[in-house]
Amino acid sequence: MSMLEIKNLHVNVAGKEILKGIDLSIAAGEVHAIMGPNGSGKSTLSYVLAGRGGYEVTEGSIRFKGKDLLEMSVDERAAAGVFLAFQYPLEIPGVTTMTFLKTALNAQRKARGEEELDAVRFLKLVREKAKPLNVTDDMLKRALNVGYSGGEKKRAEVLQMSLLEPSLAVLDETDSGLDIDALKTVAEGVNALRSPERSMIVITHYQRLLDYIVPDVVHVLSQGRIVKTGGKELALELEKSGYAEYGADAA
Amino acid sequence: MTENATRRFIEDYEARREVLPGVDGWLSRHREGAIRDFAGVGLPHRRLEEWKYTDLGRVLEKAGIEPAPLLEGAVLLPESRSAAVFETIDRHVLVFVNGRYRADLSKAARLPKGVEIHSLGDVLHEQWAKDLVERRFDEKRQAESIVDLNTALMSDGACLRVRKGVKLDKPLHLFFFSADAGASHCRNLVLLEDEAEATILETHLGEKASLADLVLDISLGVGARLNHIKLQDEAESSVHIATMRARLAAQARLSSFTLTLGCGTSRGQSFVLFAGEGAEANIDGAYALKGAQHLDQFCVIDHAVPSCNSHTLFKGVLDGESEGVFQGKVIVRPHAQKTDGRQMTHALLLSRDASMNAKPELEIYADDVQCAHGSTVGELSKDALFYLQSRGIPEAEARRLLVLAFLDEALDLAPHDEARESLRRLVSDWFAEADI
Ligand SMILES: Nc1ncnc2c1ncn2[C@@H]1O[C@H](COP(=O)(O)OP(=O)(O)OP(=O)(O)O)[C@@H](O)[C@H]1O
Ligand SMILES: [Mg+2]
Repeated sequence: MSMLEIKNLHVNVAGKEILKGIDLSIAAGEVHAIMGPNGSGKSTLSYVLAGRGGYEVTEGSIRFKGKDLLEMSVDERAAAGVFLAFQYPLEIPGVTTMTFLKTALNAQRKARGEEELDAVRFLKLVREKAKPLNVTDDMLKRALNVGYSGGEKKRAEVLQMSLLEPSLAVLDETDSGLDIDALKTVAEGVNALRSPERSMIVITHYQRLLDYIVPDVVHVLSQGRIVKTGGKELALELEKSGYAEYGADAA
Repeated sequence: MTENATRRFIEDYEARREVLPGVDGWLSRHREGAIRDFAGVGLPHRRLEEWKYTDLGRVLEKAGIEPAPLLEGAVLLPESRSAAVFETIDRHVLVFVNGRYRADLSKAARLPKGVEIHSLGDVLHEQWAKDLVERRFDEKRQAESIVDLNTALMSDGACLRVRKGVKLDKPLHLFFFSADAGASHCRNLVLLEDEAEATILETHLGEKASLADLVLDISLGVGARLNHIKLQDEAESSVHIATMRARLAAQARLSSFTLTLGCGTSRGQSFVLFAGEGAEANIDGAYALKGAQHLDQFCVIDHAVPSCNSHTLFKGVLDGESEGVFQGKVIVRPHAQKTDGRQMTHALLLSRDASMNAKPELEIYADDVQCAHGSTVGELSKDALFYLQSRGIPEAEARRLLVLAFLDEALDLAPHDEARESLRRLVSDWFAEADI
């Protein structure tokens, strides 16, 4: 079954065309990696999927589980199963991580017509999910992402993902800024979520992450277009030769 | 032109001068002087620097508010969340309806030895009451001149005296309710002698086009501690003028917090005078405005002696076409070394038509001091909203979450644990129902 079906997607940001005709089809259970030079449009694609304002779709379509994704509001997409792990997670002063997680989980459950979790059941669930990711009680009590180190922010993103159990997870450079142990922890967290019903888009600059999260398909994005698609060996190739042959303004 | 409103107050005074409390003593002379001064300058207007953003004269002229009727019969107190907010706290309660004390609705029994609670008429013959009423704080008298109106017309009020070293056993709750349209003038007096302690809760409610004219006069002895929490939830057609004047002796501490969830035109004035070293004053507040509400906070902290700390933080959110004002001044006199004075105000505008005017000022004549002031006016962060929504939180709920988080820093300062938690819940419920 098709999870995500992107056809001829053109997107403008601040009047400038950033995505110039993306076609991407992801089946349920598949993990796709997207690689590509800085500024090629990887984060732009992830924001368009999540529904961020200011990203104008001028052409093309996105269907998610058969439905028109572009018709849905940001929170509707989330409740339907889209999750974006941000390249730069935001700091939200005054809202504790715990309150945030509970509000988010229960909002999604409510939107899906499921029963909301009470405080006790919620706490048990969070502790269970937080432990393997080394997210401490102290972090959970602090304001969301405020004063978290770069690595802690990324682990918190993965915690949110494992709690919200999306059907399509988009991980935007979740590996950047992680030390090698944290990278393993995060990869294990992600792998634990792999299932025949769940698809993932893993955006990364490094082959290293893909050693742990082995993708089914690798795409190269350059200047707003997917210029090459291959198997996991494509990532190895890129690591050696860079993006020069794709005519990219590589960093 | 504000002659009608001014004249109405003078006529009210002339009609009632013989029946106002304290008619046969010092107060009647004092009232004569006050009404003369009031008639001389009239109601405050925008041309006065200290009333630049609140044209009280015009507002009252337009409102055309008559004196509130005396209501002695049965009265139904409101059952709103705001009315019930302090209900779970074990407390003494004094109820004022249309500005008059209602013994039948109040409950302040078995007071500890050394605690006296009276209505205004019963303490006017005492020297301490006279001392409190006659004080002046503001040299320029632009802001304080409105107190003359209260002095001339004050008809009732709560008076608390706590003797040396005595602690008021539970909070004293002053519940003010405007059951009818009209003006009421209350004077509340608080004297805490050396090392005495008390907590005062105030609630101001009213559905009607009323004017609540209030003055709270406070004197704290050496090492005395007063916690004061005020909740205001009045109709959009109401006018509220409240002045707090507090003198602190050495080592005394005053913590005052105001939450405004509903008002029409409201001006809250705080004057704090440090008269002894090592004292501390916290004058803080939070507010949420919508529609055409107008809230003006005016705050003068006078560090007249060395080594005192003052802290002021007002945080609020403004929706609709509401207007917020903060005017504040920290004065540090030439000898007031080792002063620590902070004055901050932060506002969040939720609509394009809402506005905020903030003017915190420092007037420092000493050199060895730590003072800071600042103000910010911002909007909800679109990025933060997107982040919350991307986790499935609907926009309205995401906005509420961010707004509550913003106000929390101020709510944290309410100086009574139970009351603070009740106010927090009240604010959260308020936003759950408000279409913001
Ligand atoms: N708000 C904006 N206004 C103008 N240009 C923008 C805006 N946001 C993104 N861009 C431009 O869009 C292009 C794609 O940016 P994007 O963040 O998608 O790249 P990326 O592939 O994720 O890069 P990186 O690897 O550095 O994360 C860049 O040239 C960027 O400058
Ligand atoms: Mg990026």
